[in-house]
Amino acid sequence: MAHPVSFPWRGIIRGRLGVCTIAMALWTCAILTRLVLLQVYQHEELQARADRQHERTRSVPPKRGDILDRNGRVLAYSVDVNSVYAVPSEIADAAGTASKLCAALEGCSTRELQTTTDRLSRKRPFAWVRRLISPAEARRIADMGLQGVGFVKESQRFYPKKELAAQLLGFVGIDNTGLGGIEATYDKEIRGKPGTILIQTDARHLAFSRVERPPTSGSTVELTIDENLQHIAERELRAGVELNRAAGGMAVVMDPYTGEILALANEPTFNPHEFATALDSQKRNRAVQDIYEPGSTFKVVTASAALAEGVLGVNDQIDASAGRIRFGSRVIDEADGHNYGRLSFTDVIVKSSNVGAIKVGLKLGPERLGRYVQRFGFGSRLSRDFPAETSGIVWDPSRLNDSALASVSMGYQIGVTGLQMAAAVSSVANGGSLMEPRVVKAIIQNGRRIPVRPRQIRTTVDANTAAELTGIMEAVVERGTAKAARMPGYPVAGKTGTASKIVNGRYSHTEYNASFVGFVPSRKPVLTIIVVIDSPHGPNRYYGGTVSAPIFKRIAEASLRQLGVAPTIDAPPPVLVERARPQPEIPAAGPAALPSFFAIDASSGDLPLIPDFRGLSARDVVRTLTKMGMTAKLMGEGFVVDQKPAPGSPVEVGATCVVWLARQMPVLAGETTVDDRQ
Amino acid sequence: MSITETFEYAIKKDVRNNPIVREVDERRQRDLWRSVGIGLFLVLVALFSAWQHFELLRHGYRLEQMQHQRAEEEEVGRHLRLEIETLRAPKRIEKLAVDRLRLVAPGPGQAIVIERAIPTEPPDKTVVASR
Repeated sequence: MAHPVSFPWRGIIRGRLGVCTIAMALWTCAILTRLVLLQVYQHEELQARADRQHERTRSVPPKRGDILDRNGRVLAYSVDVNSVYAVPSEIADAAGTASKLCAALEGCSTRELQTTTDRLSRKRPFAWVRRLISPAEARRIADMGLQGVGFVKESQRFYPKKELAAQLLGFVGIDNTGLGGIEATYDKEIRGKPGTILIQTDARHLAFSRVERPPTSGSTVELTIDENLQHIAERELRAGVELNRAAGGMAVVMDPYTGEILALANEPTFNPHEFATALDSQKRNRAVQDIYEPGSTFKVVTASAALAEGVLGVNDQIDASAGRIRFGSRVIDEADGHNYGRLSFTDVIVKSSNVGAIKVGLKLGPERLGRYVQRFGFGSRLSRDFPAETSGIVWDPSRLNDSALASVSMGYQIGVTGLQMAAAVSSVANGGSLMEPRVVKAIIQNGRRIPVRPRQIRTTVDANTAAELTGIMEAVVERGTAKAARMPGYPVAGKTGTASKIVNGRYSHTEYNASFVGFVPSRKPVLTIIVVIDSPHGPNRYYGGTVSAPIFKRIAEASLRQLGVAPTIDAPPPVLVERARPQPEIPAAGPAALPSFFAIDASSGDLPLIPDFRGLSARDVVRTLTKMGMTAKLMGEGFVVDQKPAPGSPVEVGATCVVWLARQMPVLAGETTVDDRQ
Repeated sequence: MSITETFEYAIKKDVRNNPIVREVDERRQRDLWRSVGIGLFLVLVALFSAWQHFELLRHGYRLEQMQHQRAEEEEVGRHLRLEIETLRAPKRIEKLAVDRLRLVAPGPGQAIVIERAIPTEPPDKTVVASR
């Protein structure tokens, strides 16, 4: 029998292998256990920690929408600028860093230096140094390379036209919230909605991926304001206020047919970039927030009511003799002690007779006058665009005694805003429609323009009454109290007003509101303008006719020229030019489009010879033909390429000269072109 | 105990197999090449996947950089538009015209008003119509 072979080293190897196997198994189990612990039990916590390390969620503030004028010119705009911050815990020398920062920042006072030093000394994780700094300041700070100092972009609101329409536009605070004017009224639309960005970063904090929910930009608000008309109104109002040494003033320019406000000026004014230092009187939108007693401008309402109700006709006589009227102990005089005697109804308004207006008001009675006061929009807010608009003060007609009725008839004991007065007179201008005064023309959101349609509030008077009243108001300017508002070439209708202000509970004998409201050209109104000057003390005294009417005239003249409204009375020949149409090349031989024409005054003289117009611009041709007293027909656009009659022909004054224009000059006979030479 | 039992591995057999030619196993050869092919394919897939991953990362960095650049350009554009609008302010232009160029506002008759041949549509009810 053979014994089994015994190899002791095999046992040793086997034992060691067993130990290794067990160790390996334990090691594997330990790893697996750790993995389960990390991946299962601590998964959420570790995932969150990892996300925190390589993912950053950043809120993206929305860009505030623009505010444009009716022609697309920018009135308010937002751009990103730098704000400088510090991490105080990373700054070793707080005082030194603050000193360097202050040196780089413009207008850094000792107090600001001290505040910055204090902030940097507190060893907090974050501190603002200064927000919304200029690019030059940011560059200076960046160049210094200060430890623990950084920049963050923030949106800042800019008003590129500075004071232009400041009260209307309003202003925004440092956190981009609208605090006044359109900025506040339409803040919800203009502000937009913030977005978020999830950024993934590597170990060096370099971003390599992002998931974006972009911010919704704020809507752009298109105003009815015309930048140029606004400038004209502000310029003339400022000049008027300075000339008359007044406390302030306001002017509203309105389209009488749509109620669109083309300009709204207030004086004194302010720069919206420095709203914090502006006075309340500068920031107030007087045209919609201030109420005043309109004085004689309100006689338009009294007259409208009388005409519409058939109480009086334009030629009916009214006895305004004695120049005063008595209600118990109260005596009301004509201005400056006049005694007009018997006046026609028209002349009551033309001469602005207080006694006459009172008698008209008494004939109307409180109920009927009160009805028209309400119809013209007094005592209620008219516009949705002005939340701060004052409704004014209107008495309950049933509580008006004769004395109070007399006051209301001539524009006292009633409080109105300039906007209400402009809207009321606009309704006379447009034939009897009280249009809602609007300052927002459209809202543009995501490239889609949503226009705001004009809205008629109600009918005030019928068209015939409006026409009669227009005639009376024209007479006011032609031969009445508003001769200073006359404009060569344009028929003007208007009414002056001079009202004592209440000072310390009594009507003052030194402080007045001088106003003028009217529309032009009165036969086909384009503009309604109201000018109210507060407390004038200048060389023109305090009358609406001497203080406000000239300002009205200057605003109207420049505005009509700006709008291209031709004079209609004794005017130089108006020029009608066809609207420019795209024309690709030299026009066809014959007139393909409607011709433009010039109506020129005929004047006597010898038969002139027509010059050679070829090569001249349309403007030069028009100027020459106008001087010659001829009518011109323009065909096409560009420079003159042909004309009829031919150059050198004798022509009669008043004859028509046809000129053909083209963008490219044709080659004249005998000339060679570059191509020919080549 | 014999000597052969004690030195199990010490026996040196004089095996002369040089003349023996081993026959190639076609089947195993095919399996080998298939395995190599599969392995190579897997390696290529892994390499392609890695390349994609790194390309993604590279483009991520590039995209991020370009978006940043675009945002900066847009902001520059906005700054320029703001500057243009500031320079276009009527008050500034008027001041330049008056102070530097010595221009004055035209008087009555000095300006020819050019009207549009097609007037704006009149409203339904006008004072003009009522006359």
